[in-house]
Amino acid sequence: MNMVNKSILVVGGGISGLTAAIEAAEVGFDVFIVEKNPYLGGKVTQINQYFPKLCPPNCGLEINFRRIRSNPAVKFFTMAEVESVSGQEGNFDVTVKINPRYVNENCTGCGKCAEVCPAQRANDFNYGLDKTKAAYLPHQFAFPVKYVIDAGACQDGCSKCVEACQYNAIEKDMQPKTMKLNVGSIVWATGWKPYDAEKLSYYGFGRYPNVITNVIMERLAAINGPTGGKIVRPSDGKEIKSIAFVQCAGSRDENHLHACSSVCCMASLKQATYVREQYPDAKICIYYIDIRARGKHEDFFVKVQNEANITLIKGKAGEIQEDSATGQLVIVAEDQLNQALSEEKFDMVVLATGMQPATAETKVPAEMTYDEDGYVAAGTPGICAAGCTKKPQDVAAAVADATAAALRAIQSVRGQS
Amino acid sequence: MTGFNVSSGPLKYDTEFAREIYSLENGHHIKKCMQCGMCEVSCATRKEMDYSPRKMFLLLRTGQREEFFKSNTMWMCSTCLMCKVRCPRGVPIVDVMHDLKCYAISKGYTERAQAAFYQSFWKEIWSRGKQFEGGLMARYYLKRGWKDIRKDAFRMKDMGLTMLKHGRMPLMPPKSVKGLKDVQKLVEVAKAQLQKGADR
Amino acid sequence: MAKKIGVYICSGCGIGDALDIDALAKVATKEYKVPVCQKNAFFCGKEGVEVIKKDIAENEVTYVVIAGCSGRVNYDVFNFGPSVVLERVNLRERVVWTQEPDDEDTQMMAEDYLRITLAKLKNLELPEAYVIENCNKRVMVVGGGLAGMTSAVEVAKAGYEVVLVEKEDSLGGWLKRSYKIAPLNSPYTDPEDTGLEARVKEIEGNSNIKVYTSTTIEKTAGAPGMFDVTLKQGGGTLEEKVGAIILATGAVPYEPSKLGHLGYGASPNVVTQAQFEELAAKGTIARPSDGKAVQKVGFIQCAGSRDQEHLPYCSAACCVESIKQALYVKGQNSEAAVYVFYKDIRSSGQYEHFYKKAQSEGVMFIKADVTGVTDDGGNLTIEANDLLMGSPTMADELDMVVLANGMVPTTAFEDPAYGTEAQEEAACAAADAAPVPAPIIKSNILNLEYRQGPELPSLKYGFPDSHFICFPYETRRTGIYAAGSVRRPMDMSQAVGDATGAALKAVQCIEMTDKGGAVHPRSGDISFPDFQLNRCTQCKRCTEECPFGAINEDEKGNPLPNPTRCRRCGTCMGACPERIISFKNYSVPMLGNMLKSIEVPEEDEEKPRVLIFACENDAIPALDMAGINRLQYSKWVRIIPVRCLGSLNLVWINDAMSKGFDGVLLMGCKHGDDYQCHFMKGSELAGIRLSKVSETLDRLGLESERVYMTEVNVMDYDRIPKIINEFVEKIDKFGPNPMKGF
Repeated sequence: MNMVNKSILVVGGGISGLTAAIEAAEVGFDVFIVEKNPYLGGKVTQINQYFPKLCPPNCGLEINFRRIRSNPAVKFFTMAEVESVSGQEGNFDVTVKINPRYVNENCTGCGKCAEVCPAQRANDFNYGLDKTKAAYLPHQFAFPVKYVIDAGACQDGCSKCVEACQYNAIEKDMQPKTMKLNVGSIVWATGWKPYDAEKLSYYGFGRYPNVITNVIMERLAAINGPTGGKIVRPSDGKEIKSIAFVQCAGSRDENHLHACSSVCCMASLKQATYVREQYPDAKICIYYIDIRARGKHEDFFVKVQNEANITLIKGKAGEIQEDSATGQLVIVAEDQLNQALSEEKFDMVVLATGMQPATAETKVPAEMTYDEDGYVAAGTPGICAAGCTKKPQDVAAAVADATAAALRAIQSVRGQS
Repeated sequence: MTGFNVSSGPLKYDTEFAREIYSLENGHHIKKCMQCGMCEVSCATRKEMDYSPRKMFLLLRTGQREEFFKSNTMWMCSTCLMCKVRCPRGVPIVDVMHDLKCYAISKGYTERAQAAFYQSFWKEIWSRGKQFEGGLMARYYLKRGWKDIRKDAFRMKDMGLTMLKHGRMPLMPPKSVKGLKDVQKLVEVAKAQLQKGADR
Repeated sequence: MAKKIGVYICSGCGIGDALDIDALAKVATKEYKVPVCQKNAFFCGKEGVEVIKKDIAENEVTYVVIAGCSGRVNYDVFNFGPSVVLERVNLRERVVWTQEPDDEDTQMMAEDYLRITLAKLKNLELPEAYVIENCNKRVMVVGGGLAGMTSAVEVAKAGYEVVLVEKEDSLGGWLKRSYKIAPLNSPYTDPEDTGLEARVKEIEGNSNIKVYTSTTIEKTAGAPGMFDVTLKQGGGTLEEKVGAIILATGAVPYEPSKLGHLGYGASPNVVTQAQFEELAAKGTIARPSDGKAVQKVGFIQCAGSRDQEHLPYCSAACCVESIKQALYVKGQNSEAAVYVFYKDIRSSGQYEHFYKKAQSEGVMFIKADVTGVTDDGGNLTIEANDLLMGSPTMADELDMVVLANGMVPTTAFEDPAYGTEAQEEAACAAADAAPVPAPIIKSNILNLEYRQGPELPSLKYGFPDSHFICFPYETRRTGIYAAGSVRRPMDMSQAVGDATGAALKAVQCIEMTDKGGAVHPRSGDISFPDFQLNRCTQCKRCTEECPFGAINEDEKGNPLPNPTRCRRCGTCMGACPERIISFKNYSVPMLGNMLKSIEVPEEDEEKPRVLIFACENDAIPALDMAGINRLQYSKWVRIIPVRCLGSLNLVWINDAMSKGFDGVLLMGCKHGDDYQCHFMKGSELAGIRLSKVSETLDRLGLESERVYMTEVNVMDYDRIPKIINEFVEKIDKFGPNPMKGF
């Protein structure tokens, strides 16, 4: 007998996963979210502002979290990963591994553990630009509001947090758990990661401290980032007088990401406004091949173009050299519209690194087909991809796509009855 | 790199010429160029070129025959391979440049020093199966003529002497390689194969 | 259900160290005579929760007040089911973490917050869902093009009935006029068949889909779960009842006759993308003037688009469409010369593969400003400035020139049948200094029988308004979802996904409506506004101001609410000068009593009081964040959350001033073109209302600056102390409210 399970598993709790889960739950289906991080929200939690409205992603996330809070049909697991999937549409058995948080449900979020913790760890939320205690809240808006302990960063034999916690919330001997879920359909939304900029050796990322990536720029500009929202040079914390944005850093490149990542043009235009806001006199250059501000985003492109001190240079930035004395960077590019070779000096360079789907490395443990960049090209009955697992896209498109995925998941479980 | 200035009205497109270029062994790769300009920046000799490879490709696609033959771009390519490695469209720019040189020579555009050098170099290899510096020099200056000898030969004399001292430039031609005829036959076959590939 | 209140004061997380918990408990037990009041150092622990559960089970506690942490945390622990009313008094983030511990004023603040909540409970009734009888679960899809057909099929696949309405005599829309379409699937390199036949077959073979062709909509009345749609077919009309509507009427090409500067009209061989598509569909692409098979074709991108004189936006699909059409030409004759004159090639995402394919086929892309298109007896010449060559250039002897003439949403056209009533109305309203109504273009598509106008309000360029980043489908008309190129410029692959998403939203709206719940953003909220119509003065403010057009009007001007259209923001409640609109759990008297419950010290005590109304969507989380970051702010403020500043009724300002508050600060979301207000117009309306308050204050002899509205977004938490303290300082300068103690 085949019992049809009507619940839906969403793998990945970023904006696509959250959307798919909540939208399906609000139709009346039970949904499980499995998220690898200790918090929900994924990449958008690290973004300072959305283009083109320049509004904070946490605003939309708060609404989504409220929808989760008020809807018992949504259950989620953080620090969790799907290990295996078996069965078929309408009846999947899924093994989920839950990594130890070392903090149990007693945590009240009071922060005493972090207060007393003597150890530090690189803050991955800020791409290692600052440190947190080994007992930490991933970020201020973290949902759920539960602390985490990075056991690898703990001092040997230290139990200060255990002693400080009045609520017996810390379990230093917590073990990984595996859990079985039975679901009717699966939405795969593990999203993307920034392309490894060190692979673009001619841009010097990793060697020159003042060459950063666009995702790092988001953290520098964010009020809850490592600099409290002040955009400064990583090498010496100094204010900047000039900055360059290098488009297609990895994207549209046969040697790297074959597809266009579709969001980086708008992201750089947006980040130029961050700089304008803080440094109205700073020189801003954007090196591009094509500016892809599609649809109504053109308005934003026009707006930014008309701002003072912003120059768009048609020509891919070819090479970046560092002046080791000043930490400044020289970009060499062909300024095609002016028929000249351009060599310009900047205090800081932002590489518009593109998107690489998480599935380029971690495949779905089921029969799926992928395209040359690792995006899911086609699912299998009962399992569909959503958001940037399918194609490089911005938040608005990912939300629409995830809403569509929610319907596919519902069709899967409904169709079985 | 210079701007492209045409005094006699706008550039006209010549598809015939573009098609001819596309038919070269690596010519079709030119079509893939998306005009990003990475090649120019990567180029070791970019300051010597009148057109960047990017712009050269644009000229070729629009069929600017005369500008092409006038240009020094392919002749200045030192085959350092940096552009080929970095080209985001995967255009084997060095190989294209090589094809362009061959094409220019085949069309009789041999007045460039580089053309004379390539031809002399090849003749030497062909006739002996190996290189003889003296022979190469002789062939080269024979092609270039008295003016060049006067200009270059005396300028280069110190280098020549140093090479002589170190035995790097024998005065007498070496013996040809064993089985020279076979080597030449091999080359002929390879050429024919290439031609067949191009025709296909 | 009898109202029995239990107050549970948590002393954990430092609350007990900072506050006198016993004194706090007395506020509940002595002042408010609360029958059950318990203290615990760890209410969110297992034992703490058990205490509360036991009271619910054994002591019949029905209203639970937990004084401890913010409602943003431990929501799952404190979940006692739908039959228990739960209120959280945020002592931790809002008091203990932002104020001096063990201080008289901190204690007063905590006690006031408890009072506010207890006062709220006095006025709070458990809402009962507004459930309509026989909620209609069918979905109407308007428009039978790719998006509409997709929506129809997807809704049907999910098990719902569909009514598909198409104005032409057959389904297909642009697919009918297309030879092929840009690839929808990996590897994104070759044009694909339109699949029109299969799509139509699937629809016709699906008994759940009822198709009306040659049909338009004469009238759409009703509300989610109960739309009554009058269809016009031939000379007659017929009725359909549906629960939700998907607007998928798509876009039309930009009017080419306006593109004379690009040669349109000068030669039959200058055509639009759509015309070229039709030529391709016929077989060999031949030039219209003499039927000669094309050898040389020029495409001009952004013909109209990205042009302030024409369409300022990018039409999103034209680059990919031209690539496709260029490949048609190459497919027909690989030796053909194809030139694409462009500004930027916008083959975003995986369409980069499509661009590469066209390039490797020999299509030539020229970044140029086109300066002219001329006709030389059938042959055409495009003159342009080649920006990458830095020189003028020309492509001559062209057989055809194709203009990529972009798209305009079908909702952008005013139907001439309507006249200029809309503009007149808008002008009148503007003269009145009332909020300018949303631009509703009478495009003769849905013909809604809504008081605010017959179509979806648009934001810009005629595309329907929505929170297009986070919540793209949420238009300003509940239960009506726009999909495809009518929503924003998009290509076909996006339209397919978009239509599927809209299908979900339609189904979701129906299911929510069936349960009496609200849709986004107060998803599932069952409260809804009651109107005490016997006291209505027909001022029409509620019907004009509702951001979602939920309220109709009878001929006398009385409001006719449609609860299933309501998003529960309370804007109507805020608008009503007679205060006749209220929710069971959110009302003018309730908020009034909440603010009156706050103890305002006498003038000589020198303890000013500033009241803050804060939007619960953004300002309240920001205030929480200030606490989490232990940012200290003035001890004189008292914060009351509101659903949206739009629900702010001016009587509360009056109440606050009469009560002796020295100032009132309003924290709401950003409004304007890049609005962040979750109810789209709420904070804007609050601002407009507020502009009228100064007069009143002046009359009372008060400085109008005592009431101030500011925008606070969720990330502004670091500014919170500054905003609050500066306002308090300003108020301080004015001195105490002279009405104190009256």
